Amino acid sequence: MTPDMSVEVGALQLRGPVLAASGTFGYGTEVPLLERRALGAMVSKGIFLRPREGTAPPRIAETPSGMLNAIGLQGPGADAVVRDYAPKWAGWDFPVLVNINAESASEYGELAARLDGVPGIAGFEINVSCPNVEQGGLYFGNDPRAAAAVTEAVRGRTKLPVWVKLTPMVSDIGVIARAVESAGADALCAINTFVGMSIDLNSYGPRLSFRTGGLSGPAIRPLAVHLAHQAARAVHIPVIGIGGISSAEDALEFLVAGCTAVQVGTATFVNPKAIADVHDGIAAFLEAKGFSSLAHLPRYLPRD
Amino acid sequence: MFLLDAPITGRRQVARGMFVIGMQAPEIASTVRAGQFVNLGWSAGPLLRRPFSVYRSDGVHIEVVLKAVGEGTRQLLAMDVGEHISCLGPLGHGFEFGAGTRTAVLISGGLGVAPMPLAARDARQAGARVTWVHGARTAVELCSETEGDEILWATDDGSEGARGTAVAASPDAELVLACGPNRMLAAVAERWPEAQVAVETYMGCGTGVCLGCAVPLQRGGYDRACREGPVYRAADIDWGALPSHLAYAVTA
Repeated sequence: MTPDMSVEVGALQLRGPVLAASGTFGYGTEVPLLERRALGAMVSKGIFLRPREGTAPPRIAETPSGMLNAIGLQGPGADAVVRDYAPKWAGWDFPVLVNINAESASEYGELAARLDGVPGIAGFEINVSCPNVEQGGLYFGNDPRAAAAVTEAVRGRTKLPVWVKLTPMVSDIGVIARAVESAGADALCAINTFVGMSIDLNSYGPRLSFRTGGLSGPAIRPLAVHLAHQAARAVHIPVIGIGGISSAEDALEFLVAGCTAVQVGTATFVNPKAIADVHDGIAAFLEAKGFSSLAHLPRYLPRD
Repeated sequence: MFLLDAPITGRRQVARGMFVIGMQAPEIASTVRAGQFVNLGWSAGPLLRRPFSVYRSDGVHIEVVLKAVGEGTRQLLAMDVGEHISCLGPLGHGFEFGAGTRTAVLISGGLGVAPMPLAARDARQAGARVTWVHGARTAVELCSETEGDEILWATDDGSEGARGTAVAASPDAELVLACGPNRMLAAVAERWPEAQVAVETYMGCGTGVCLGCAVPLQRGGYDRACREGPVYRAADIDWGALPSHLAYAVTA
């Protein structure tokens, strides 16, 4: 018998635990091959209120078992998302959350208000790995007060689920996790990319024009499992694990480590059917181990 | 767009260090257009797939042309006939061939030969007389396989054909198609703003979602080599902002 793969992330009922990570699935309309049957939910490419050009090339660099990217959140802005994509999402059989970005807490709130109530938009994932222009470019996600302020600003403008995608570039992810939980987040996504750098030995300079980029892929997985686990131990809201997942075994590590669901990202670039493969592999694992439901999977989550 | 496990059917050398690999990929072979590419992955390969312009197609098989420029291409060249390559494609927007074109010149530098056999085929089908101008550093690096009604060679050292660049050696034509290092394409853009050029970029997904293969445009902003490209009207690209030297690229 096929095991019950459904999960609850706050008020959202998902048919499966494998979600598409922001920035790796576009707006869900680009690639017919990206299998949607197994998708628990999709998180859109990160958007700002207004259109953004993005950074100059080169924007990506491959590294051992990973890739650095500095896309610069190129995107069409909120109005275009509402006009061009949300109507399509409204007809899909899985929820689509919009990854939202801003340069101030009030702008995060404004963006959420613009998208709130639009058919096809099921919730928000706040990217707190943005520089806070009002505080000298310090990243919101590195400061518990700023991360909480952003969460409150969004929470105050919508009744939809609000997830917060945490940055790994912090000394104690539990502190940030508790701060955004208290500020009203419905779930946490752990983690975003690590900041990295790679040098070109022909030009004696950085391989990315932006100098640094976000490191993703299998290279970061053990780091991500640890941080997702630390976040899950710190809070009582669901944690969605992210970081270098390309197989069912990878995803199961996050689930056992205390995550309610997972997001698959970079693996989709390599294998357009990665989401379905991971989903099917988890189901096969549960079946082989004799579990009738994902809810019965043993968890390793000692409380702090 | 198809995702196929394609068995390797053959490999041959076409210039010093330059090889053609054939694979059985019927769905791609029967639909690919000149200038389109495939994104290849293989077990034990690097994390990301590698993009290659389709070199030839017979409706059942496709071929790609490559040099060993890095670990990935070295692995590909070491694979045996019968081994499988994961083949995603056809991808991107290829060359356009207007009906009634009387003369076409195809300009290729080094590995820029990659899209040209298909381009020659389609240009002739469109009724054009095809001149292919192929350039390399030296004679032994010139691709030994050519297509077209007239073939012109150019080498930096003058060891075969005209001394100098393929661009300098090219006659004018109604339709100009070019592929090669971005520096060469920038020179094409100066001489023929209406030329169609296939650019080199790093690529992530190859399918339009990651936005990693950004091409800077004259009108401002970027679009995607893998989707709107890799073929562009030469005058549309902001050549000063497009990286001119890449360790691997769509033609590599």
